[in-house]
Amino acid sequence: MSASRAGRVTRRAFVATAAGASLAALGGAVGCKRALRDDRGRVRLRLWFSLGGRNREVLLEIVKRFHAVQDEIHVEPVYQGDYFESLAKLRTAIAAKAAPALSHVVAEVVPYLARAGTLESLDGYPGMREIPFVAPLAQSGAFRGGADRPLQGIPLNRSTPLMYCNGDIFAKEGLRPPTTWKEMLDVAKALTRPGRWGHEVPISWWFWVALVGQAGGTVFDESGRATLGDEAGIRALKLWQDLVHREKVMRPPPGRDYDAWNVVNQDFLGGRAAFIWTSTAYIRYLEDNARFPVIAAPLPRDVRASVPTGGTFFVVVKQAPDEEKAAAARFLRFFCEAEQAAYLSTRTGYLPITTPAVDRMREDGFFTKHPNDAVAQAQLASVDPWPWEPLLFRIERDIVDPRLEEAVLLDRDAAGVLAEARMLAARPG
Amino acid sequence: MKPRARIHPWLMLGPSLAAWTLFVFVPLGLAAYESLFAWDMLTDPVYVGGANYAAIAESGELWRILGRTLGFSVLVVSGSMALGLGLALLLDRPGRFFAFVRGSIFSAYVVSWVAVALLWVLLLDPDRGVAASVLRVLHLPRVGFLTDPHAALVTLAGVTIWKITGYAMVVFLAGLRAVPQSLHEAASLDGANALSRFRWVTWPLLKPTAAFVATTSLIVSFQAFDVVRIMTGGGPARATTLFVYAIYEQVFMNLSVGRASALAVVYFLVLCVLAAAQLRAWRSQAVGRRA
Repeated sequence: MSASRAGRVTRRAFVATAAGASLAALGGAVGCKRALRDDRGRVRLRLWFSLGGRNREVLLEIVKRFHAVQDEIHVEPVYQGDYFESLAKLRTAIAAKAAPALSHVVAEVVPYLARAGTLESLDGYPGMREIPFVAPLAQSGAFRGGADRPLQGIPLNRSTPLMYCNGDIFAKEGLRPPTTWKEMLDVAKALTRPGRWGHEVPISWWFWVALVGQAGGTVFDESGRATLGDEAGIRALKLWQDLVHREKVMRPPPGRDYDAWNVVNQDFLGGRAAFIWTSTAYIRYLEDNARFPVIAAPLPRDVRASVPTGGTFFVVVKQAPDEEKAAAARFLRFFCEAEQAAYLSTRTGYLPITTPAVDRMREDGFFTKHPNDAVAQAQLASVDPWPWEPLLFRIERDIVDPRLEEAVLLDRDAAGVLAEARMLAARPG
Repeated sequence: MKPRARIHPWLMLGPSLAAWTLFVFVPLGLAAYESLFAWDMLTDPVYVGGANYAAIAESGELWRILGRTLGFSVLVVSGSMALGLGLALLLDRPGRFFAFVRGSIFSAYVVSWVAVALLWVLLLDPDRGVAASVLRVLHLPRVGFLTDPHAALVTLAGVTIWKITGYAMVVFLAGLRAVPQSLHEAASLDGANALSRFRWVTWPLLKPTAAFVATTSLIVSFQAFDVVRIMTGGGPARATTLFVYAIYEQVFMNLSVGRASALAVVYFLVLCVLAAAQLRAWRSQAVGRRA
């Protein structure tokens, strides 16, 4: 070898060695395949999740419980950022054929991923079709026609929007939570003071869809056309614009996505907003952190009561190895057992996803002790299902959400903004 | 120098040319190709011709993003140059105190963008931030630095200037120290005051340095992403959606690879035009100097 012969490394030898090592590393990386089983022979089930704080603790506790009751599957949970970051990573991983077997995605994405042929149908896995889900929270009831499709989404953390009132402020002013849009305006006016807003809500698609439903509209018609509520959509948007600009009783919270949600919660807890709309998911958080009684109430109605569902569904990725997919189905069955479903709900505020879990919570007196959870549970009667529409998520994120923010902050013509959104929604993209 | 064989120049150029081909030309070509399709990475691409370009142009989004990005660049380049030069002139003095101040100002440049952005988010919080407290003490109205669509872009430009001014200052300091002292002495003897000496001696000799600072600041401003991602997420009301962030948003958040590719191609063309303009400006300067 020339290098040793000379007693030192020549330039040519160094370059050749470096090139060889690089090629070997590259070859190794390309050829490297992930082991399906760990050193104890258990199936490795990769789970990508996007829950933080207490929700994360609860999920990890359920994983721990799963490990305690069996020794064939080892769940490897990996945090992947918020819902949208996690979805971006999941899509990229699917495209790169490196996706985990199990992940969870926001409800509106399920039809899109299903149409792309990326989701495993869980119908063929033992016991999956028999899980007694709470219909409005499961694929069957959360989507129009969801029951007629292959089972591809298992509810994980499911929620609806809910109104939270500062009990002290309402008691002091002798007011009750508003039940109609008109009352909401009056109450917000009555409660607005220097340094305190009457009402606050994230300017976001989810809450706007609730308003659209309450105004009697739907975002998609039966034929799958994105109507964005037509007149109801305009009324919904104008309500926000009036509350912010004409009446000056509502603060549009700064930030996008969950930053804005966080601001709303903090303003509420800090007494800077008298009543807010946010997710049922925050029941425990708000109750535990408020220095005043938190009173939950159903969202007010316009021509009718309506709430969309939110949160995420577990999905099993089709391209994953069969063994890992079977492990995922087994974990999901465990997750949906009454004990786990009730545990998640009682610890967080997410709605219980199975009827045995609801029954168990009722028998344990949970809803009596926690009337806010009972309000959230009762509001399920007003759920409007999402359309099973693959474009739903793109229309939400790309077209409607940014325009809502712009229309409210800059007081743009609501009809014009939504007409433009409808036009863009009809385009391929 | 004449090569011994015709292949030698190509062998020299080969490694960098290969890297450029692999990491620049091929991805650019792919982006141009993908911009002709509606594609979400998961389903089959659908050929749409120029529809992606038409969509971003017709909706006015392209011009708004371009306007914002150019506006942001103008603020960042002019701000960092003016402040960098001012600080360099002020701090070009011997002594430990000035060295400490120079070091302190430069330290912002070596801190990561993420840390800087998070720090400023806290400082600018409209309720609990230091900036809000100062405004309250001065009885000035509340400013939504990151929440007012009219203020957010200027705020991001301010943070970027704060971060990169130290670098501009150091480069200007090096330029100042290269100006021969004898020229200043001769100008003083001719009766030139400090301002005249700067105008007629320092500035002409600092022009190449200024051009360098302008170029690097321009690059930083066009690459702005972290600061947008962390401080505003492109909002409020898209007021801070700059080019790179818009591309990221389209591909990773909105699932539109075709639309993102169209934006990337337009962005490349904009950069080509800017590069050509800069090259032309440099050449005319060089010709001027030779004349």
